[in-house]
Amino acid sequence: MQEPAQIGSRKARPEDLDDPSWAWAPYRPDGQRPWSLELAAHLYRRGAFGANWGELEHALADGPELAVSKLLRPKADVAPFNRAYDAYEKAAAGSADGVPAWWLRRLLETPHPVLEQMTLFWHNHFAITNARVKNPAMMCRYLQLLRRNALGRFDALLESVLDEPAVLICLGARANRKARPCLDGARALMEQWTLGPGRFSEPDVQGAARAWTGWFVSQDEAHYIPREHDSGAKKLLGREGDFDRKDLLRLLLEQPATAQLLVRKLYRWFVSETVSPPDALVAPLAADFAKDFDLARLLETVLRSNLFFCGYRQKIKSPVQFAVGLVRALEGTVGTVRLASDLADLGQDLFQPPTLKGWAGGQCWINRFMLPGRAKLAEELLAGSGPYGAKLDPAATASKYGQSAPGAARRFLVQLFFQGDLPEETRQALLNGGSASDSLRGFGGLLAALPEWHLA
Amino acid sequence: MQTTRREFLRTALGASTMLAFSPVAPGFLGRTALAAAAQSQDRDSVLVVIQLSGGNDGLNTVVPYEDDAYHRNRPTLRLTAERVLKLESGLGLHPEMTALLRLYREGHLAIVQGVGYPDSNRDHEAAMRDWHTARPGETLTQTGWLGRAIDRACKTGQTDVPGVFLGPIPSPFGLQTEEAIVPAIKSSDQWLPAGEWAAASRLDPPGSTAGAPAGANPLPEFLRRATLDASAGAARLQAVRQGAAARGTDGYPDFPLARTLQSVAQFIRADLGIRIFFAELGGGGIGGFDTHAGQAANHGALLRELSESVAAFLEGLRRDRLLDRVWLMTFSEFGRTLSENGRHGTDHGAASPVFLAGGGLKGGLVGPHPSLTDLEANAPKFHTDFRRVYATVLDRWLGFDSLQVLGRKFSPLDLAV
Repeated sequence: MQEPAQIGSRKARPEDLDDPSWAWAPYRPDGQRPWSLELAAHLYRRGAFGANWGELEHALADGPELAVSKLLRPKADVAPFNRAYDAYEKAAAGSADGVPAWWLRRLLETPHPVLEQMTLFWHNHFAITNARVKNPAMMCRYLQLLRRNALGRFDALLESVLDEPAVLICLGARANRKARPCLDGARALMEQWTLGPGRFSEPDVQGAARAWTGWFVSQDEAHYIPREHDSGAKKLLGREGDFDRKDLLRLLLEQPATAQLLVRKLYRWFVSETVSPPDALVAPLAADFAKDFDLARLLETVLRSNLFFCGYRQKIKSPVQFAVGLVRALEGTVGTVRLASDLADLGQDLFQPPTLKGWAGGQCWINRFMLPGRAKLAEELLAGSGPYGAKLDPAATASKYGQSAPGAARRFLVQLFFQGDLPEETRQALLNGGSASDSLRGFGGLLAALPEWHLA
Repeated sequence: MQTTRREFLRTALGASTMLAFSPVAPGFLGRTALAAAAQSQDRDSVLVVIQLSGGNDGLNTVVPYEDDAYHRNRPTLRLTAERVLKLESGLGLHPEMTALLRLYREGHLAIVQGVGYPDSNRDHEAAMRDWHTARPGETLTQTGWLGRAIDRACKTGQTDVPGVFLGPIPSPFGLQTEEAIVPAIKSSDQWLPAGEWAAASRLDPPGSTAGAPAGANPLPEFLRRATLDASAGAARLQAVRQGAAARGTDGYPDFPLARTLQSVAQFIRADLGIRIFFAELGGGGIGGFDTHAGQAANHGALLRELSESVAAFLEGLRRDRLLDRVWLMTFSEFGRTLSENGRHGTDHGAASPVFLAGGGLKGGLVGPHPSLTDLEANAPKFHTDFRRVYATVLDRWLGFDSLQVLGRKFSPLDLAV
């Protein structure tokens, strides 16, 4: 077994980590930093929602270059899958619990998990909530828009997000009247979605709100009503002119702060939560991104980079990642209506992020109640009876890969969950019957309660 | 400052728990923890908030039984001098609240009269939201007043949860945070896994980080420590529950609110670092206190549940020598109209009284009863802004900075001993 301290980054010299040309260059395995099962699992935890054993073995054989390509551009026919799920989701949008349940079902079944990671990233970025919108069908439409644009161009995504009735309603911007520009909406647009806090002034907010006037929600659609647009001169980010919404977005995208904010958020989501990257690392990637706002290229650069593979276990799983990862690893399935509500209890209520800032994430996911709560959820998912049914069975997974004998099945699960990367005493205790339970279901529950399982 | 004392204790206890907990069985954890909890009278203060959903009729809760205007306007609902439980100054409690009268006489109940806010809303949802956000009329406010207090009380790297909700309804907006995750406790075993969870902290305990390079990933060790803290806390809670089970009903009456408060007492005894508990009476939504018709029986039953549950809770705290650590506070989104509506009920009003109960509290009536001749659309006017009550519990009891939580300075009431 590899020493845990050697995985990913540790043989990289610290000065390399701050050198953008090394940090963002594609990772090429060598004797110092070999490609391994641990790094393959890392790639799948971040780029997907965790891997099953077959995916791990293929990724190990493929090497990082091909493994990343397969994640980004899967061979499976993704479009018909998503079209079918779009229809299921829409049909279930009459009830508030149908839409999150269908999203979770999609997360469990999708052949293109990286697209769902990005969709979740955008839901956390454009963090609007059904608690305010109170219309599941609109929320469903909003999420489908995020998915369609998740790996497209950010400028197009931003503009179409502002056309979503759910977004306008959540911002309190249902009616952007000439006489009453919507300051809260303009502030959210600048602070949360583009420039970031501290990158604009209060007069900029007023200018932005005035540029946005004329946009209304009526009959569940966004409309532009020219006579409600304030066509006077506005001051905005050091410029002056008769700006409208299109100009506003152009000016926001021109500011280097916008691309930098997105690169920083993407870094925290995909690379590491434990350190915030120095400006010198962010700037070159942001500058390249700002050329055309191509999200697929940006994500590909990140996922291939040396830095990405240095972020091993530097992130805490969200409740969704915790549960979906467990189910995907074991290649089973569970009921998702109940799952959506249990995940809400654990702090991640899909379609209802706490505030416009999204979920705080990181160490905020974990507290004295959430750890036993997660353990209890894993226990119920694996129980083989009860609310989650019987279609998640670690013994069946192990025997699918020829590991039916009790000892072999345990070794298999430890490899599948941790690729053997546990403290040596822990690993020995687990494999030598450190657990009182005879059942592989109980053993799986124990593995999902270990501190390392909460790390992405 | 209370926080400093707590941190001192945490550090002191934390060091010993590290040594004691990792190799041993949960039973032993529980006993050690109980021994520690027994000496814990000087720990942190705790606030229990009880929401009375639906708009409680303050005039039939604290009754101005000598006021002619009261009797004139309430021909069928009025409570006469013979029936009320007399306090002082011509005021009496509803006859179903004998248990609260006892607390009042012992000096453990303060009644803040005429609590409300300017231009108060009379729509259930909007008014409740005003009380929850503590920012009346600001409909885009994204967090609750207790949620903001909880976010500020959370510290990076620690796993204490400063606030929880107990009850079968969705968590109220007052607890809405930006960052912290506030547990909603629907049943007593909901957060206790049955299986092998406790083994996780033994198999993979916090280890020495002495050899780790500077700047190494702090998350694995954070999670090991959190897993150990959480399983130690769960073991303490189990031990407290087992002890409680041996004592049967423990003097708690058979009401849902009483059972909820019994759980609260167990959480306090298990010493999990929870500072704020939120519970509800009336059933959430447009709750049982919304007595537009046939008020007398329903209102009496709810007040009886409130009174007996709160009294049993305080009695239990006293037995466990925890009374001086706890304040309990009630609130409702509005009071009700002075006059009856012709259906033996009352309609949405404005000001109403707030109860505060507990140790370390100056009991008695606070402020005058609102006038029944100078009304606002048929309802008593407020004289004490509800945010002054919030400021009191934040500044004077919890030791939080009310200015940060409320965004404005409200002068606290003189209630703390």
